Amino acid sequence: MSEIVRIYGNISKFDMRSVLTDFANGLQYRSLWMAFAANEIQARYRRSILGLAWIVVSYLMLVGAIVLFFGSFSQMSQVDFVLYVALGFAGFQYIVGNISDGCDVFRASTAWIKSTPLPYSVYVYIRIVRSVFPFLLHMATALIVMAFMGWRPDWGALNVIPALAIFLIVSPPIQLMFGLIATRWEDFSHLVSAVTRLLFFLTPVMWVYEEQGGLRYYVATANPITHFLEVFRAPLLGQPFPFHSWAIVVGFSVLVWIAAIIVGALMRRRLPFWL
Amino acid sequence: MPHVYVENVSLTFPLYSANAVPTTRSGKDDAPNIIRNKSGRLIGVKSLTDVDLELNSGDRLAIIGANGSGKTTLLQVLAGIYPPDEGYVEIRGTCTNLININLGMQADVTGNENIMLRGLAAGHRREEIEEQREQIAEFSQLGEFLDMPVRTYSAGMQIRLSFAIATAFKPEILLLDEWLSAGDAAFKARAVERMNSFVSEAGILVLASHSKALLQANCNRAIWLERGRVRAKGEVENIWDAYIEDQAKRRA
Repeated sequence: MSEIVRIYGNISKFDMRSVLTDFANGLQYRSLWMAFAANEIQARYRRSILGLAWIVVSYLMLVGAIVLFFGSFSQMSQVDFVLYVALGFAGFQYIVGNISDGCDVFRASTAWIKSTPLPYSVYVYIRIVRSVFPFLLHMATALIVMAFMGWRPDWGALNVIPALAIFLIVSPPIQLMFGLIATRWEDFSHLVSAVTRLLFFLTPVMWVYEEQGGLRYYVATANPITHFLEVFRAPLLGQPFPFHSWAIVVGFSVLVWIAAIIVGALMRRRLPFWL
Repeated sequence: MPHVYVENVSLTFPLYSANAVPTTRSGKDDAPNIIRNKSGRLIGVKSLTDVDLELNSGDRLAIIGANGSGKTTLLQVLAGIYPPDEGYVEIRGTCTNLININLGMQADVTGNENIMLRGLAAGHRREEIEEQREQIAEFSQLGEFLDMPVRTYSAGMQIRLSFAIATAFKPEILLLDEWLSAGDAAFKARAVERMNSFVSEAGILVLASHSKALLQANCNRAIWLERGRVRAKGEVENIWDAYIEDQAKRRA
């Protein structure tokens, strides 16, 4: 067994490498964050009769309601619109869930941060697993329901795989950055929850932005979440490959990573003192 | 071989608040480790100042000091929870800490699941944890309670489980805070026995406590912390007596 050597101290005020090492070291604790996330998911539904089925039921209720009330506003065919809303909502929930989860990722893990020298990214990965699980359930539900309604995918649907990959790639920096800022300044999490509520209307989940003109079109195209939904939704809807949205999504993801590394380099070291 | 090396470590606890802390005192009669900014607001407490320490295998260190002298903070720095502002800490060997009894357990999951989580967090593989499960259950004497959520445990039961998990994997370095003395007499006796067997395997123990009996039974060296500084180092007996004498003088 190789000897374990840990060195604390000699830390500079701006340490970008420590952010990347933290992300990398956290990956080695895969079985820990899997076990953690599984426990948390089970604990949440342990005392309910429907249990995990609630994830599917509440999702179907919301998608059903949106389709009923907003379906007539769109020129899409009924079947396409159901899939449009169902996928859009699943993707939206995942991305915005990462943002709002991120705000309390460290506060909720105070007990562990104050008692174990684990990489902080472990807590981020727990949260990501915990939101990937309902996301995949939502997606599977949407596709099964749609298959019954006569929807058939083509080969282009495989383009959803890189979209799912970019969803995963962008989650850790989002959570780290929002987590650090919200732990330091509590006002930030209030601001974020106010903004995410707005985002539900500003993001084309219930409405189709290509059909809109003026302000709505402008807001939707300026909103990066629109493009994340687009790269995920378009392949399954059989639409042409969204080059423009992909360019924005990749560029935005790079920016998020750079921002997270800078925020992490400045703030990560002080995290245990803020809890 | 396990080794602990601490050089010139200083740590200031910053105080954060959205609203200004009203200054009720002039600051003239502050303790020397209170830090204020120019306008007199409290901005931090210097918890450790220039602490030096070196421990080799077989060393069992007692940390002695009044409340607020930096005992727990020093343990937390050794555990890697708080990075020091200045100085250097090098820890060689597997290190486990039991610094706060309430921390690091998931209240909503069972004792058995917590054994798994803590084992994984300490970097062990699932099979290794399964191998230790039986003896953890035996030492903790929790029986069927291991299948119940930890939130149903009494404080004593939690201590037994935490201690059993922390010592099960034979860490080379064990950091313990005061709370051990919260257990009942039978548990304390068994804990001391377990610590002795563990330290005879050439481990390092660091124990902070206000109990002379506990320190004497477990430690062979002592340091005395006062307001975050090392006031004295030496034999447990001598340091303890000096500390008690000093406390008595202050009361007089």
